[in-house]
Amino acid sequence: MSRYSKVIDNIDWGLITTVMSIVAIGLLCLYSSTRVTDSAIFFKQLLWVGLGLLVMFVSFVIDYRLLTRFAWPLYVLAVVLLVVVLGMGREISGARRWLSLGPLGIQPSELTKVIIIVWLAHWGARYKHIQEHGLRELIRPMAAVAVPVLLILSEPDLGTAGIILIIAMSMLLLLGIKKSTLVTSAILVLALLPFGWLSLKDYQRMRILSFLNPSQDPLGSGYHAIQSKIAVGSGGLIGKGFLHGTQTQLKFLPEHHTDFIFSVVAEEWGFVGSFVLIVLYLIMITQIISVGNKAKDRFGAMICFGIALYFTLHVFINIAMAIGVFPVVGVPLPFISYGGSFMLVNMACIGIVLSVSWRRFIF
Amino acid sequence: MNPKITGPELDEELRLRARFITLLVFILLLSLVMRLVHMQIFKGGYYEGLAQNNRIRIVSLKAPRGKILDRHGVVLADNRPAYNLTVMPKDIADPDSIATRLATLLEQDTKEIRQKIVTGLSRPYDPVYLARDITFVEMARIESEIFNLPGVSIEASTERDYVYKELASHCLGFLGEVSRETLKQASDGEYAPGDLEGKNGMERACETRLKGTKGIRIFEVDAIGRKIKVLSEHTPVPGEEVRLTIDRSLQVIAQDSLGERAGAVVAISPRTGEILALTSGPQFDPNMFLTPMAPEMWRQVIEDPLHPLENRALRGQYPPGSIFKVAVALAGLGANVITPQKAYYCSGAYTLGTNTYRCWKPTGHGEVSLKKALAESCDSYFYQLGEEVGIDTITRVASELGFGHPTGIELADEVSGLIPSREWKLRRFGKPWHPGETIITAIGQGFTLVTPLQVAKAMSSVVNGGYVYTPRLILSSPLRLERRLEVAPGDLDAIKEALRAVVEGEYGTGRGIRDPMFSVGGKTGTAQVARGYSSKLMDESDLPYKVRDHAWFFGFSPVESPEILVVAVVEHGGHGGSIAAPIVRDVIKGYYFLKGISDEQIFEGNR
Repeated sequence: MSRYSKVIDNIDWGLITTVMSIVAIGLLCLYSSTRVTDSAIFFKQLLWVGLGLLVMFVSFVIDYRLLTRFAWPLYVLAVVLLVVVLGMGREISGARRWLSLGPLGIQPSELTKVIIIVWLAHWGARYKHIQEHGLRELIRPMAAVAVPVLLILSEPDLGTAGIILIIAMSMLLLLGIKKSTLVTSAILVLALLPFGWLSLKDYQRMRILSFLNPSQDPLGSGYHAIQSKIAVGSGGLIGKGFLHGTQTQLKFLPEHHTDFIFSVVAEEWGFVGSFVLIVLYLIMITQIISVGNKAKDRFGAMICFGIALYFTLHVFINIAMAIGVFPVVGVPLPFISYGGSFMLVNMACIGIVLSVSWRRFIF
Repeated sequence: MNPKITGPELDEELRLRARFITLLVFILLLSLVMRLVHMQIFKGGYYEGLAQNNRIRIVSLKAPRGKILDRHGVVLADNRPAYNLTVMPKDIADPDSIATRLATLLEQDTKEIRQKIVTGLSRPYDPVYLARDITFVEMARIESEIFNLPGVSIEASTERDYVYKELASHCLGFLGEVSRETLKQASDGEYAPGDLEGKNGMERACETRLKGTKGIRIFEVDAIGRKIKVLSEHTPVPGEEVRLTIDRSLQVIAQDSLGERAGAVVAISPRTGEILALTSGPQFDPNMFLTPMAPEMWRQVIEDPLHPLENRALRGQYPPGSIFKVAVALAGLGANVITPQKAYYCSGAYTLGTNTYRCWKPTGHGEVSLKKALAESCDSYFYQLGEEVGIDTITRVASELGFGHPTGIELADEVSGLIPSREWKLRRFGKPWHPGETIITAIGQGFTLVTPLQVAKAMSSVVNGGYVYTPRLILSSPLRLERRLEVAPGDLDAIKEALRAVVEGEYGTGRGIRDPMFSVGGKTGTAQVARGYSSKLMDESDLPYKVRDHAWFFGFSPVESPEILVVAVVEHGGHGGSIAAPIVRDVIKGYYFLKGISDEQIFEGNR
């Protein structure tokens, strides 16, 4: 065979197929949930998908190993953007998360998730001779993670900060940590928990409390959760049919095109549809992990594992939130929820994984 | 203690640990699937029932609009209680019978009501407004029948009330149904179709401050849509009050003095740029826009040849006439072409090339200095001065005074007027500037167009010592100094003295409004509308209305340190001195009367 066809064959077409299937399902749901309220959203999202594919292609073409060189500059950029957003971000319902770039709004915290993955992969690759890290080695990465996490917490954006923390912990665990260190840090975290609760904003505490007892305040913070549960449950086995979800079409469910879009899938396509979607996510994540396993270097492998964790957490938290087994923390569903910067970041992640996958054949 | 140094097998360790991620993913996603099996398959019927009986309604609560007050706190735009008739389409079983019953109660057309209900059925949970601001009698009638009208409810709300009807209508503006563009740009819950928004004047300029934040009420309803209990409520936040710089009483005087005529009056404080009165005639009553207007009535307003909705103070563009001579004088003094003492000779006409330009006084003014030239509005003086100064300097000085661009007042849709220049002429007509055009520009004819507000702003800077302030209509807007005129203070005093002579001099063109109680300076202007019909040759009342000259006057008082400056323009009014000047006098007189200052304090001496 010619060299050219090999280049094409080595692309991970399986992963691309899975992702595109999820994107297609997302567009259908978005159309269904916004056609009554604001039909422009669908076309905007279409544009974002197009842009996202471009971003995916670019991050595929670029050698991911270049990212090691940019780990620090990217990290600094993320911190700077987070500081800027605190100072001059757009305030929407009490939180400063958005930066206005002309007509567009970007969420620096979305970008930070991926940059932290890159930074930690870079750190892990540099100290690959160390098999089990002790507390002393861990001070640097923990400090590096703490800075953006604290900035995001003060926006405040509890969900994103939590996701970054979990990703960072998991990646450090993957790199290997001494048992004694593990025990000390676990005790430390438990000891700090009460202070964390006290530093939460009222509405965040309400959300967690209303998650524990949703029927107590059905129209305050529990409203989303209850309405979403009704939407999901009433979908039944095969759903009410495309464009026929009463909960979503009749505006009982606010934010159904962003954080609660899963309830649209579940209501209109029923258990069958939800199951197919979850299986697609499972396939996508295992594909990403297997790319990591086959990667030629530790940096590539760690990036893939980090991205797999990133998607896992988003999918799990978002769906768990929609079916009422997790507090409402505002975590979107990858490739499905409406949102420009989130779509671009997701596509960039897939592009990087494709890059890792393809380059294992050339070095 | 020593870190183990290992080779490639270390990555094998990593891969082993990575299996935990795979396991984690499986466990997490499987738990979701199991939960979904429980919710959707085993308890699907239960949730289905909940979805069908979903009787939770979300209604947004309108915020009372902020009041608009005058500078002393007198309420100009208020809110009064009102009742609206709404239906929830979802709860209407039989649109026909409801429509028939409502039509008899309201004495309205059945078809129209039915149409509104049927249109609403596509969004069954959004209440439809059947009638806004129903009368108390209508409300009582419906209330007594309400048990027979499932889905119908009477909503208490507020309506805008422009307390003094026509008073300051152009400053206040009016409300109208929110436009499609606003709806598109609005953030979630900010506006709903059918809401009102400011369409004009302050109502529009201060829309965000005035409108407040809507509240929300969530309640449970029974099977026929009646409220059972309120579950949650966020009260609306009322809009902020806006205090204008307008003085209501002075506004009344200005408006009465202008009367039914088409034109504008602007009273401004030259030291601060605060507008004390601003009126445009003919007036309109902003209350009439609150309820949907019959199309023929709307057409009548729109097609009125006098355009009552137009705010002439900032949208009316007129040739300035002799008022512009002040700007030309300023240009001459600033460019050191003349001194106040320098005299030109007026023989009653001035010839340039083959063209002869006449002064309004055919017998001529003889030797004319600046004071006499402005006091008697000698055209020949300004023909010669204009030619010597040149169009470029005139254009520059006029622009520095604020002519040719919007004044920057808080109201929207202000026009720029026009200050011609060489470049403009070439661009607009493709022809070079003609020297004769400089001559007529110098007496305020030709291409030049100004708005009454621009005149108020420009002349304020001439009489206040050279400070160009942005005119302001909102009391809390900060004082804004745009620039200082580059003129010697002595020159400005000379102009001011000349303007005093307009009113107080023996032959001043504004001598008709001389008042022993206070000192006034000013300038008349009579702007030609059509060539050929010179009102100088014919009696004004013999001319057709459309071709009569516009009458201008601006006056300020006291001359030494002016507290008030008034500009009046009367469209097709005729002579500035006889038509516009009395309006200015009335307003200045009113200003002193309202100020309640004793005669001795106002009177500057026995001149």
